[in-house]
Amino acid sequence: MSRSDEETEEQQVWRVLSEAGLVEIRLDEFAERIRDVKRIVVVHLRELLDFNTGIKERESAAYSLGTLKGLELKVLANTPKPPDPSEM
Amino acid sequence: MPTGARTMNSTAKQLRTEGNWPPEEGQIISFKSSAGSETTILKEVRWGLVWRDFILEDGRVIPEHRISGCPQPQVWRKINEVTDVEREDCEERLLSMAGAGMDPRKRDQSFWAELNQYLAYTYLRFKQAERKVQDTER
Repeated sequence: MSRSDEETEEQQVWRVLSEAGLVEIRLDEFAERIRDVKRIVVVHLRELLDFNTGIKERESAAYSLGTLKGLELKVLANTPKPPDPSEM
Repeated sequence: MPTGARTMNSTAKQLRTEGNWPPEEGQIISFKSSAGSETTILKEVRWGLVWRDFILEDGRVIPEHRISGCPQPQVWRKINEVTDVEREDCEERLLSMAGAGMDPRKRDQSFWAELNQYLAYTYLRFKQAERKVQDTER
């Protein structure tokens, strides 16, 4: 019996999200996690384009990608800059 | 209500079993925070895109798994239960909070909580879709 057979659906979701570092994102890892999720969306979007199917899903994925990009830029803009060594 | 009476009333309310989870608004709940274990009054329980968030009286937003007494395994929403409208509303709120200059790195605040759930939801949504495509290809 495989691990996924023994797990309930809830446990499986918990494990998948924990492994992806998405249950409770560490404050200094938001930009990285957004990039990880963007990567998954891009892969799926490419598949949809390759198969030339799911126009509505393509639009929705593209919109999500845009949202993630906007959020990533905002998070990066708010990231505290490391101290400038020349000023130390 | 005098503080003592309120505490007694709340303590009685706190003694709830898993059967009547989640707690009701106004109840005293304990949860894990970065400062350790805290006890406070619950204002509201709200479903996010994936899990339930507990809104505290002081406005902080705590995910259900950090609340003491949360039954295991935790109840999650299925990705396909989330409607397009709900997802779009969430995306709009996130962009609006970002546009207003809010910082998602303020732990336990609404932007932090909503962004956490949106990323978890989006990941699960497209991972699931990716698996479906792979299964179709086999």
